[in-house]
Formats: sequence, C-alpha cells, structure tokens
Amino acid sequence: MNNPAAFNLQVSIGAETLFTLFGFNVTNGLLTGLVGTIIAIVILVYTAVSVKRGTYNRFIGLVQWVFEGLLRQINDIIPDKKLAKKMTPLAITIFFVVMFNYWLSVLPGLDSIRVNGIPVLRSSAADLNFTLALAIITVVTVQMYAVRYLGVFGNIKRYIRNPFKDPVGAFEGALEIIGEFSRGVALALRLFGNSFAGEILLIVILLLTSYVASIVLPFFMLFELFIGFIQAYVFFVLTLIFTSLAVTHEAPTHDEKKKQTA
Amino acid sequence: MQNVTQFAADNNIFSSLGIDWKALVLQIIAFLILVFILGKWVYPWLMKSVDERQAGIEAAAKATAEAEKAAEANKEAVAALLAEARKEANEIIGTAKLESANMISSSEQKAQKAAERIAKDAHEQLEKDVENARKMLYNDTLELVGLATEKIIEKKLDKKTDSELITAVVKTTGVVK
Repeated sequence: MNNPAAFNLQVSIGAETLFTLFGFNVTNGLLTGLVGTIIAIVILVYTAVSVKRGTYNRFIGLVQWVFEGLLRQINDIIPDKKLAKKMTPLAITIFFVVMFNYWLSVLPGLDSIRVNGIPVLRSSAADLNFTLALAIITVVTVQMYAVRYLGVFGNIKRYIRNPFKDPVGAFEGALEIIGEFSRGVALALRLFGNSFAGEILLIVILLLTSYVASIVLPFFMLFELFIGFIQAYVFFVLTLIFTSLAVTHEAPTHDEKKKQTA
Repeated sequence: MQNVTQFAADNNIFSSLGIDWKALVLQIIAFLILVFILGKWVYPWLMKSVDERQAGIEAAAKATAEAEKAAEANKEAVAALLAEARKEANEIIGTAKLESANMISSSEQKAQKAAERIAKDAHEQLEKDVENARKMLYNDTLELVGLATEKIIEKKLDKKTDSELITAVVKTTGVVK
C-alpha cells in the first residue's frame, strides 16, 4: 500500500488564479462557479419554459417538487405572506446555486486536471469569495427588511439601548450586534468549511485507496452529494429564519418587561 | 499552489483565505443580477404552476368533500327509503297474514258447514233408507204371515180377512211396534 506521506499533498485554502482578464484575476473557483450557476440557470429556465408550454417529464416533475417544497418551507418559516413572496427569489436562488456548485466538487478531474500546475476545477462553494458574497447578501437583505418592517429607529433599537435606563437591554443589544456578525460569518464559513473539507476528503480517500479508489470513491461522492443538498438547504433555511427573526423582533425591552410586571 | 503552513506566516488574513475584494464585489453583483432575472422571468412561471396545482388540489379536495357530503346525504336518503320500504313491507306482511288468517277461518267455517250439511244429508238419507227398509220388511212380513196363515188354516183368505188377521197376529207378537 502506498504511503500517503509520499504524495506531498498540498492544499490551498484560497481559490487559485488561472489567468488574468483586464486586470481581474479569474480563479478556478470563479470559473467552476460560473459553470455551476449556468447549470442552475439552464435547469430552472428549462423547467419554467416546459411548465409554461405544459410539457412535463420526470425531471421537470422533480424540479417542481423541490421548488414546491421550498415554497412551502418559505411560507412556514415566514408568517407574513407578502414578505415570504419577496424573499422567495433570493432564498430559492441561494438553494439551487449553492447545491449545484457544491455538487460540482464531486466532478471527476477535481484535482487532476491542471493548467500550469493549478487545478482547473474547484467548487465555488469551497471559495470564500462566493460563500462570503452570499452571506453578505443575506445579512444585508435581512437588515433591509428589518428596516422596512420595524423602521430605522425600530431596527437600531434592537441593537442600541440606553444602558442607564435599561442596562440588561443594552447588554442584549450588544449581544445582538455580535450575533449579527457571527451569523454572517457562520453562514460563510459553514458552507466553505463543508465544501472545502469535502474536496480534501475525496482527494485523501483517492490517495489512501489507490487502485481501489474507483470502487470506494463513488460512495464518498454520493455522501458529498447528500452533504451538498443538506448545506444548500441549511443556507436556505437560515436565510429565512434570520429574516423572520429580524422582522418579528418585537420582544419587550427589560424596562418594558418591568412596566408590564408592575 | 499555496501550502497550508503559509497561512499562519501570511500577514494579510483575507488574502491568505483567498478573499479578493474585486471578486467578492463582482460575485455579489452577479448574484443579485441572477436573483433579479430569475425572480422576474423564471420563478413566476414555476410559482404560477405551483399555485395552479395547489388550486387544483384544493378544488379536488373540495369536490371530494362535497362528494362525501352528497354520499352521506344519499346514504341517509337510502336509509330513510329502506326504513320506509321495511315499514311498508311489514304492513303488507301484516295485512297478508291477517287476510290469510281470515281466509283460513272463512274456509274452515265453510268446510265445517259443508261437512255438517253432508253429515246431515247422510243422516237424512240413512233415516229414509231405514224407513224404507222398515216398510219393505213390514210388507214382506205381512206377505209371509199371510202365506203362513193360508198354510195353517188351509184356505184362501180374502184380502180383507187376510189383512185383519195379519194385523191381529202382528199386534199380538209385537213384531211391529
């Protein structure tokens, strides 16, 4: 059996630049992300056009089934139907784009197809630029809807309170600010960590199993497909939960609680 | 390719993690455009189909509920009809039993009357036959007595004497009471 240490396995946390276009670095993560996004667009457009024409097959039925399930989830998590409808495009796009991009990490040739020593394929879910972009979009969207539903001051009141009048509330507000940042960072790092670890897992299994890899790897690939679905679903659900929490943040302050008790 | 060990040595944590601000901003803009396009032209069709399917399911559920309600109403109507039919059947059976009992009773009475009439006729016929037999026996006895008397007295009796003699003998012997 081969010694894994002999392979000189090198792992790059960041996506690597394949070439530069007009001064912009095109990375392997960006390129694969583009492919994953195009796949998601093609599947969604194909399904929408087929539905519009009234032609159905099993694949369209499957996409419709998933779409319907996601819609039901949105309506269950966000009680306000109007807000749920507004959040639908963002949440569903996150789900499909994340899922297809994650699934690209199990493509054969992940680490073996190289240009100038750099792997061409790298799932964009394993690129922090992509996951951080999604997390920023989610956090900003949540804040936008919080401002729209609670008002500017109502939203600020969630974070900043008078420490002399309501010291506990002020502490809660500080925790809320930390919570907002940690939510965004956790969203980005969770997806990145899972996808990145998944890619490394596949490479390590490939090296460890050597000639038996073609028998063993499919099981791990299936596992990664499942994890990809789970991660996309988690990102989707967390986006909805954060939005729902932000717009329904009507918990009384410490002072108000005292008044209510009195 | 960067090595993991380079991460700690690198001063810029963002570049160590591969975060490129240009790429980040570009991906944010690209994703927002994607969300806008899909939300504007793709999702409405899918949502419409889901709504239509939901409406179809709700309509089917409503139709099912109505059908169940109608079936329940029909069941009640059928039950009422069956109850009515049973009631009528019971009445018919009761009437039939009563009529048959009456008919049997009437037949029995008729049969009894016929039997009584037959018995009466037979009895009368029997009495007539006995009477006739008595008369015949009486006449035969008279003739035999006449013959016996002629033998005894050895002379021919006339009708008047004969008749008186026979009558006297019969009376004295007590043959005819």
